[in-house]
Amino acid sequence: MSNADSQDPLSSPGAVGQPALSPELAPVAEFLQQTLPFNELPLSELYRTVDRIVVQYYCRGEVFNKSTAEKGLRIVRSGAIEIRDSDNKLLDRLGEGESFHIGGLNAERGEVQATVIEDALCYLLPDLAYSQLRESNRTFDRYFSGQRSRRLRRAARYQPEPNTMMQEVRTVMSTGLVTVAPTDSVQQVAIVMAERRVSSAFIVDGETLLGIVTDRDLRTRFVARALPGATAISEIMTPDPETIDAADTVFGTTLMMTQRGYHHLPVMVDGELAGIVTASDLILAKQDDPVYLVQHISRQKDVQSIRELVSGMSNLMVQWVNSGMRAQQVSQILTAISDAITVRLIQLAEEKLGPAPVPWCWTGFGSQARGEQLLGADQDNGIIIADEAREEHLPWYKELAEFVCHGLNECGYIFCPGGIMAQTDEWRQPLATWQKTVRRWATAPTPDAVMRVSIFFDLRSIYGSSQLCSELQKTMLEQASRNSIFLAALAANALDVKPPLGIFRRFVVDRDGEHRDSLDLKKRGVLPVTEIVRLHALAHQLPQVNTNDRLKALAAGKHMTIVDSRNLADALHFIQHQRIKHQCEQILRGKKVTNFLNPRDLPKMAKEQLRDAFTIIDEAQSAVRQTYRAGMG
Amino acid sequence: MWKLRLRRRLYTRRVSGTALQRCWQVPLPYTSRDWRQVSFLVVDAEMSSLDVNEGELLSVGWVVIENGAIALDSARHYLIKAENSVGQSAVIHNLRDCELSEANTRAEVLTRFLEAAAGKVLVFHNASLDMAFLNSVSRREFDAPILMPCVDTLVREHKLLNRREVPIKSGDLRLQACRGRYNLPPYPAHNALLDALATAELLVAHAKHRSAGQKLSLGELL
Repeated sequence: MSNADSQDPLSSPGAVGQPALSPELAPVAEFLQQTLPFNELPLSELYRTVDRIVVQYYCRGEVFNKSTAEKGLRIVRSGAIEIRDSDNKLLDRLGEGESFHIGGLNAERGEVQATVIEDALCYLLPDLAYSQLRESNRTFDRYFSGQRSRRLRRAARYQPEPNTMMQEVRTVMSTGLVTVAPTDSVQQVAIVMAERRVSSAFIVDGETLLGIVTDRDLRTRFVARALPGATAISEIMTPDPETIDAADTVFGTTLMMTQRGYHHLPVMVDGELAGIVTASDLILAKQDDPVYLVQHISRQKDVQSIRELVSGMSNLMVQWVNSGMRAQQVSQILTAISDAITVRLIQLAEEKLGPAPVPWCWTGFGSQARGEQLLGADQDNGIIIADEAREEHLPWYKELAEFVCHGLNECGYIFCPGGIMAQTDEWRQPLATWQKTVRRWATAPTPDAVMRVSIFFDLRSIYGSSQLCSELQKTMLEQASRNSIFLAALAANALDVKPPLGIFRRFVVDRDGEHRDSLDLKKRGVLPVTEIVRLHALAHQLPQVNTNDRLKALAAGKHMTIVDSRNLADALHFIQHQRIKHQCEQILRGKKVTNFLNPRDLPKMAKEQLRDAFTIIDEAQSAVRQTYRAGMG
Repeated sequence: MWKLRLRRRLYTRRVSGTALQRCWQVPLPYTSRDWRQVSFLVVDAEMSSLDVNEGELLSVGWVVIENGAIALDSARHYLIKAENSVGQSAVIHNLRDCELSEANTRAEVLTRFLEAAAGKVLVFHNASLDMAFLNSVSRREFDAPILMPCVDTLVREHKLLNRREVPIKSGDLRLQACRGRYNLPPYPAHNALLDALATAELLVAHAKHRSAGQKLSLGELL
């Protein structure tokens, strides 16, 4: 404490212009400091703020609305408060440390009413002090300038540019250039290009770059016009091509090429031709690029080498996440990788077993079908066989299934504990048998059937005749959408797991056991969203399988408001991202990868956003209850 | 209230020209007034012993309740110069002799207190203890007790539990136990000002629950 601050205790603290909070009130300041956005305030400003607070106590049932005289910011010290809009729809439940400004809410969202649902002690920051604070502190102001959902949206969309995109283009260009004279014939140039296995050549006069000719030019300007082979190359070249400097970034180069539709760009150093960069150079530039990995999988010759190739996948995921990749992209890529492995295993099996006797389709279920796989996923798959198959054809499929399922298991996609795998006879059937099963489940939705449906109704063709998969999906959609008892059973399933928020928006965590103080992000967050969205999609016969695509289609078909659809998508992406980030930390610490997270380990803002996400899921569940379970309790 | 006025008369001549007289000159609120229209000075004191004959005041803290709410800019906390060593109770109050030596004299603090109390109703949790010490200081300074109206949240809570026919266990009337019944949070630290604030919150909660939107007169709290 400076001398100026340690004034005579008898001088009047709190007098105008004097920041002189009694140090005995430090617990109040400490409480504020642990709440958003007061944690952003410098200490001196925080103490001035405490001095202007009015402590109020409200009994259960007291309300605040636009006619409340004292607007101001109310920070809940204890108790709970509920905020509802004019349709009595629950917008938020506030608990300890959370705040609301009834004037601001009314200005922003129409007629909003706050009701005390548990006796509450509140710190009221009067309007004048509140607006002064917003004017003087930008971070503080920004916190209040948006809605809750907007805050979440920002977090889900923020994506820093990966560093690899910022390296200089010289690091990825090829320098083995083919240069020719303008008078060389097209035929001669084509022969050189073929010999050197390149897709472009430069036409130079001494040191001067005159033009460029690419494979495409040969096609469109030479072959298509049926010109004679002796035509001079200068007649079909692109004269004075655009160039880039070797010091330009990979990012800038990629941008230029995609915007202008170029596939080849000459690279200059000090104004002289030094190399060329092609679209595929840019893709392959990054060794850790997932596209690279997927391409390599398709070249492996046996299960063992596939397994080695993907053994480093968890480390790769850490790199992707660290370079700013979002959850949606990570799971998209991880799914692409498991698709590639599946396809490669099937090809290897076919090499051994010979071609399939009748058309068939390898189908992925669950998260693989939705394109939402993460690390540690087990396998969920099946085989649909064309109806013309005869008894003697079936062993081929059984052998193939056993090879592929075992291969997947070796590569880390463990056998499905529920046996939902092509190697189980039940999940390897002719189309007609599949359809019969679907009809039976839809008309008699036993709990077991409903549980299977939640995996099985998300399906996607991975290999073979996708027609068979679409046929089966068509039957599912028809059966599901017209059968309200079935939908009600699915709804019950979707409502089974509640988001882990207590009535006062505290996190509900496991009290004991291995995952003490943690919550299961997959079970409590991801699955409820997936199930809710699947239910809506089935009810409206939407063929999309990916949750994000389903949400977009639901909004496009006006089955869901755009706001609800976006909020659910953001909630899902946010939870998935936390899950992935958490998994990365576990990998880095050499721990087993799980979905259990202790909310205390999250930074304040992320904790708040996680709460927001769960609140959105909770609301979506209420909507399901009203739509599909009306009158069923 | 009329008893207070009567007793004050006995001391009129003695207090003439003192801070106590200036305090008494400000009119007191009518007991028929709604509690929200009354200004309260909620006080807590720390002493070196629970026995007024042995101990002395170490610190005093207070906050003001106005319009049924507590404005934190009214919060004050004063350390009082000890005449004897603090001894054992320092452990309880976290006050050390060196801190107290930089403090104010009893007379200064009493003057500040009377200035703040003028026209207000005093509030304590267990008024008899705190008032005994304050009165003893006042007697030494002005040869007269303070003679201000007092609300005792401990007594109020006791009556409330009796009226509800709740069996009272030991500890049920401690400040934190009372606060817990109103869903008021615990305070981590322990000092005169924070306890005064805690008592003020308790009084507001108590009054709000008893009035339930209706009028609750000052008389019903005294």
